[in-house]
Amino acid sequence: MIAGKTWRETRGMALAYLVILELLCAPVLLLWPDIYADLQRSTLFRSMPFDFAKRIFEGITDPKESAAYLSWCATMLFFRSTNLVATAAAVLFGTALFARERENHTFEFLLSRPVARGTILWQKFWPTALCVTIPIYLVNASAIFWSRCIDFDLPKWELFLASTHAAVFALCFLAATTWLSVRLRVQAHVAAAVGAFAILQIGIYLTQRIRQFSLFRLADYEWYSPILAGNTPAWQMFDPIRGHGFTTYLLAATGLFYALAWRDLRRAEP
Amino acid sequence: MNAAVMVRGLHKAFGQKQVLRGVDLTIAKGELLGLVGPNGTGKSTLLRALIGLVQADAGAITVLGRDPRQASLAIRQHCCYLPGETGIYQQLTGAQFLHFALGFYPHHDQARRELLLRAFDLPLHQKVRSYSAGMKQKLALLATLIPDVDLYVLDEPDRALDASVRFCLREVLLAMKQQGKTILLSSHHLNEVEALADRLQFMLDGAFVATTELDAARAILRRRPRLRLRQGEALPSGARELQRDPNGTLVVETDGDPMAWIRSLPDGIVESAEIGIPRLEDLYQTLYASRPRGDA
Repeated sequence: MIAGKTWRETRGMALAYLVILELLCAPVLLLWPDIYADLQRSTLFRSMPFDFAKRIFEGITDPKESAAYLSWCATMLFFRSTNLVATAAAVLFGTALFARERENHTFEFLLSRPVARGTILWQKFWPTALCVTIPIYLVNASAIFWSRCIDFDLPKWELFLASTHAAVFALCFLAATTWLSVRLRVQAHVAAAVGAFAILQIGIYLTQRIRQFSLFRLADYEWYSPILAGNTPAWQMFDPIRGHGFTTYLLAATGLFYALAWRDLRRAEP
Repeated sequence: MNAAVMVRGLHKAFGQKQVLRGVDLTIAKGELLGLVGPNGTGKSTLLRALIGLVQADAGAITVLGRDPRQASLAIRQHCCYLPGETGIYQQLTGAQFLHFALGFYPHHDQARRELLLRAFDLPLHQKVRSYSAGMKQKLALLATLIPDVDLYVLDEPDRALDASVRFCLREVLLAMKQQGKTILLSSHHLNEVEALADRLQFMLDGAFVATTELDAARAILRRRPRLRLRQGEALPSGARELQRDPNGTLVVETDGDPMAWIRSLPDGIVESAEIGIPRLEDLYQTLYASRPRGDA
């Protein structure tokens, strides 16, 4: 019941979000053969103040064009599109989950139905989580088709791994926003809190000396490029003992935020 | 056990504000109890505590044989609650909202459903956002009264409803009472609740007003007729003015029997007179005035 209603409420926005991701993906991939030549002549990136921008430039101007194309995809599909749009979508969907119910005075109605609060949270969360993550997989799958249009092949397994990491990153933001949506009474306050956190993280990311402490360090070019190049196998992403395991840590953080949301929803009063 | 609801020594505070102060309440199965009192006096908090929406600070509650702190879900499966603030999803049509709200309950009273749908005559195909306040309240009532459960907790069910719909609602509630349903309703329409309820509880400052105190306040009000004099007429002797409403209605206190005083007035001097029907706000004022200072 609640899941169906959540799906009806989010499907329109999810479709718009999918279209935006696709619009960010298809044209930039199709630009590739021309932009590769232009970038090799360009000196713009060399003069950029950020080290990571220089490294991106070195990647996408690699003398071996197939390697350069993978760097281009890592930058455009993940560092630019998914990070930006998927995180924004996760925040947008998440703020609405409970704070909007409070603003519309439907929170009390919902809590007074004969359904457990844990079920309410779950039935609101999972359709939203699917709306946030499925477009990431769909758009990145479509990148295989667009790449073939310009005679390039994208490695499917590596693309799936990178998409999974991007989906988990967005999911973590969704869970954190859901928790705040349970705690705060006004939707705008939730958006402001998450927005302030994201801006702080971007600020940290752009400061060379403390960049490794930024959450966005876990979803930047240097994270996705090795995955797409096949240098980060799945076990390294998921196994915290043998590998770095940061995808698992992000999943654990998602679980933690979900648990916090559940704890606070159980205590919530209308 | 014959009590549907049993509350003992219930306390609840929001921050520094003590909202419930040792409330004791028993509602027998099949009883219709009316709860009246001014705004902010703790009625809604009490109703919410009964179904486990708010946690009491102290005291004991048993609803349908269960403690809402431990078995809130089990209580809600046998109880329908109408919140004081009409919360309806604006983006749904009336029919979609009803389908959503009723889907949580396995058993519906079909006869009641037909009766209410006919009487309320709502445009269910339209989006709720186009509904007036009264229409939204009717929709919320449909969602609350159609499920076939043992206990109905209704917070101001007659809010924003016109007189004809209120009359219909009254008939439906009476029929439900005859079916053996237990109903707890709070309202600001004292006379209507009085006519409907088996018993009335008056709430003030987070506690129930004792019957003796309420009777005393009513006795005072019975000696205070409300009357409207013709333009230019002065108040005849035998009574003194206590209050003058903006519309010119006077509340007076008579020296002797108010009915005898009204009958003794010369013809044509009074436009209208009302006696023996205590208005809720008058009752609040009288009760507040009769309480020691600092208690409120």
